[in-house]
Amino acid sequence: MNSTTPVAKSLTNELYASLPCEIREELEKLERHVMVPCGQRLLEFGVLPQQLMILDSGMVEISVPSAEAEVSLGTAGPGKVFGMRAAVSGETPEIDVTPLEDCEVTVIPRAEFLTVLQNNPQMYFAVAKVLSADLKIADQLIRNCARRTPARKI
Amino acid sequence: MAMAYNLHIIENCLKCTFREQRLFCNLSREALTKLQAIKATSIYPKGTLLCLEGQPPRGIYVLCAGKAKLSTTSAEGKSIILRIAEPGEVLGLTAAVSNTPYEATIETMEPTQANFISQSDFVHFLQEFPDVGMKVAQQLTHNCKCAYSEIRSLGLSNSVPEKIAKLILAWAEHPIELHRQNGGGEIPIRVTLTQEEIAQFVGTSRETVSRVLGEFRRKGWLRIKGSTWNIVNKRALEHLVTT
Repeated sequence: MNSTTPVAKSLTNELYASLPCEIREELEKLERHVMVPCGQRLLEFGVLPQQLMILDSGMVEISVPSAEAEVSLGTAGPGKVFGMRAAVSGETPEIDVTPLEDCEVTVIPRAEFLTVLQNNPQMYFAVAKVLSADLKIADQLIRNCARRTPARKI
Repeated sequence: MAMAYNLHIIENCLKCTFREQRLFCNLSREALTKLQAIKATSIYPKGTLLCLEGQPPRGIYVLCAGKAKLSTTSAEGKSIILRIAEPGEVLGLTAAVSNTPYEATIETMEPTQANFISQSDFVHFLQEFPDVGMKVAQQLTHNCKCAYSEIRSLGLSNSVPEKIAKLILAWAEHPIELHRQNGGGEIPIRVTLTQEEIAQFVGTSRETVSRVLGEFRRKGWLRIKGSTWNIVNKRALEHLVTT
């Protein structure tokens, strides 16, 4: 599957798009901008990221590693947020995110993000939207796979 | 306590004895009071369609009792079960949060109590109470984890007997009370799916399911009596899944 995740571009990324101006400004103070070279993992299965990552430019591939093969969930472009599940739950990621080209990324340290979240619980709706978008991508792949599964004889 | 379809109806969320065990329902008293005010409790018989795939979101359903199947339709028009929802789950959450159509058809598999909350009430509820927002995030996080786990298993090329064995082993994690009391030997499980539904679950035909179950029985791995199945040789099923 090689779909590109649609992201609201109006307010730069899928998290900020649902946040009020004052919270966006608070988060913007915590931002750091980095360049991630092509092929270097942005998010790695089983490794807890210490920051939330927002893709500013470039394309990445999202995949789920399994015992036999990597299952690609598709590609994502600017505006996509990564590491939200790990940030709010403290659980390690179940996916790999690999840049397909050099990518500009905004990072927000996890601890600081959680402090802002704690002080502004109304942010949870925006967080839920980001998580919902991730879940929709995963569910879409499951549905597509289920639809393709042929009836096999034994 | 009122009853319908042999179900004890839990009308008051504040008095629900299950709420502490359930991810979404374990809320502050203030939030539960609000939930009580905005939810509509309904009891549905088996086979009720709560929502249809592709339908605009109307709201969410909190499954209080009973089970529901989430399904989609193949290009050939065949129904494919994606998963079975258990009590405590919030259904239609992704659609309600992101304001996109329901992604699956949800049908009750047995008499079910579900609390419906309209989309607008739910969004206000979520924004008004921080603990609700946190629970929703936790539920979505949990759902994501389950989805990724499902995808990982899709990456493995399972045969139909492997898939059915995997399903039976998953059910074995929740044996019926009898086994917990006896503490060992055969594992009795209650199977509420028909062979047709098992076929929809694993992506095969009913005839194939029947043949595979027949083979498991012949090998002495499984005994089936109505909806009560006894797993006689769990190790053999596990071996089938891992080889």
